[in-house]
Amino acid sequence: MFKKILVANRGEIALRIMRTCREMGIATVAVYSEVDERALHALEADEAVPIGPAEPAASYLNIDRIIAAARDTGAEAIHSGYGFLAENAVFAERCQAEGIVFIGPPARVIRDLGDKVVARRIMQKGGVPVIPGMTEEAGDPGAWSAQAEAVGYPLLIKAAAGGGGKGMRIVEKAGDLVQACQEASREAAAAFGSGAIYMEKFLARSRHVEVQILADTRGNVIHLFERECSIQRRHQKIIEETPSPALTPALRAAMGEAAVTAARAAGYVNAGTVEFILDPEGRFYFLEVNTRLQVEHPITEMTTGVDLVRHQIEIAAGRPLTLSQADLAARGHAIECRIYAEDPEQNFFPSPGKIVFLQEPSGPGVRNDCGVCSGFEVPVEYDPILSKLVVHAETRDQAIGRMIRALESYAVLGVKTSIGFLIDVLASRPFADGETTTDFIPTHFADWKPGADRGDLAAIAAAADALAPRARAAFNGAAAEAAHSGPFQTLGHWRL
Amino acid sequence: MEYQFKNNEETLSLAVETDGPERFCATIGDRRREVVYRRISDHKIHLTVDGRQMMAFVADTPEGKAVIIQGRAWLLEDVAAARTRRRGTRRDGPKQVSPPMPAVVTKLLVAEGDRVEKGQGVVVVSAMKMDTTLAAPFDGMVTRINVAEGDKVTPQQVLVDIAPTENEESAPAA
Repeated sequence: MFKKILVANRGEIALRIMRTCREMGIATVAVYSEVDERALHALEADEAVPIGPAEPAASYLNIDRIIAAARDTGAEAIHSGYGFLAENAVFAERCQAEGIVFIGPPARVIRDLGDKVVARRIMQKGGVPVIPGMTEEAGDPGAWSAQAEAVGYPLLIKAAAGGGGKGMRIVEKAGDLVQACQEASREAAAAFGSGAIYMEKFLARSRHVEVQILADTRGNVIHLFERECSIQRRHQKIIEETPSPALTPALRAAMGEAAVTAARAAGYVNAGTVEFILDPEGRFYFLEVNTRLQVEHPITEMTTGVDLVRHQIEIAAGRPLTLSQADLAARGHAIECRIYAEDPEQNFFPSPGKIVFLQEPSGPGVRNDCGVCSGFEVPVEYDPILSKLVVHAETRDQAIGRMIRALESYAVLGVKTSIGFLIDVLASRPFADGETTTDFIPTHFADWKPGADRGDLAAIAAAADALAPRARAAFNGAAAEAAHSGPFQTLGHWRL
Repeated sequence: MEYQFKNNEETLSLAVETDGPERFCATIGDRRREVVYRRISDHKIHLTVDGRQMMAFVADTPEGKAVIIQGRAWLLEDVAAARTRRRGTRRDGPKQVSPPMPAVVTKLLVAEGDRVEKGQGVVVVSAMKMDTTLAAPFDGMVTRINVAEGDKVTPQQVLVDIAPTENEESAPAA
């Protein structure tokens, strides 16, 4: 087994990977950009290496710097999380050339599946149903228009080189095509280093259901059931759950089998996710394979009890899978809410800034994969995810109740977050009924405003805050210092 | 004591009578509430309102007092303070070409002297890996471009000056 792993990522996912490394007795190396010097991932690793300026291209996407950091620290393997270099075949190849293990699929598989046009071809050949879409590369407005006419409107533009909603646009009519393509291409270039885009038919009222797979180097492939990820804003998932309320046992088995077929067709190794679109009639189509750990992987970990990162590391070390399909069962229901620094009243626009206070939820069945702390300045340069709040309970209803309870005890001051919005979504009738289609938010929550019901309480709290002296102001210097030295002092005249 | 807070467009008026240490009576509209409060820390206040306990999280921000109770967030503007800085707040935003957050200009879509229609894209900005096209708030002519591609820009900064077309209001609607 590896003695030391470099984590080429930041935020909550870097911390999550490091936790498993620590449990396995593997030392960790963090890399960080100038704005992340005091970020949790940089502070918590065994070693931390600065890799350059804030701009992703100069740091977290800078292959030379990251390889040099691995060399200098003697890391034998690199885990790149999701985003940044996680699906970059050039990086995987470079690792191999340098004698460093890339914890993920082989570069050839990343390249094949990363090019969504090639991936579709592989799946078609393997007998996996695919969604109607672009069949040839197109790189200029003329070619885009020709492909768009062939696919038909409405259509969806996506970055050929990545996921996560970056570079994604729905185009309703031909007149909007060129501007949408240009914007998408520019966004894709900034996020993934490649401006290549592709198009597919946009299916309305569909669901996004994906299947987790694990494959070892000996040809064993298993699936770990599905995740339903239909609740999206700006084409980025914000609530995920497993099991999907839309699947029957027969459909679950069929999609699991299709995912395993897809993995075999591609020669897949390590953890991956096969994404499908499920239409209202229960037909499913291959969408793409994410050749990495997914953001929402914790819900699968909750229901299956499997540590996916541990399996990734073991597979990368050449060990055979220790699980067989028959060993796996999913228990109960898990839901994840992504907590972003964003303003749900302003079309979910990012809300960077300094976190002045943070209280994380806890309690039975609650897991919060958090990448920030009080005092941390959420940088403008990166995805504004703060944490992923995950709950696990016996049933879907209980999981919803547990998630609402956890969200209600979550407090983030200093940046705007979607917590209040998420509570309303979880508490809504359509969500309770499992009507989770990809148009859920535009359909049910298009003009969401926070409810005015408790505004009175907020005003009372504001008045109380104005009346109650702050600790610092209430004491002289020495006393104020003492007041901050422990909970007994801080609690003042509270009786315990 | 009178407090007036503004949350979005709603104004909350609060009459507060202190009736002992760490307690007051709050009257909002015709509703009177008994409040007991205890400060736990700089950002944490324990409230008992008509016998019901709850924790409130508070912080002062440049836009007002941020309050969180049971996962719900409010931004309460002190009305007296707000009056003095009414000009140039983000409420004027929709009438000008400004980014909603700190961003970088990635592309200018118009030049000085161009005629633009309401809703037409005039400048593309990028923040947190997301491109957004800022649109003209009304029909008009581009009189001045205040930024260049690659510039870092902030909310309330006017990126492109647009002079509205005359008679916009009096033009027949049908």
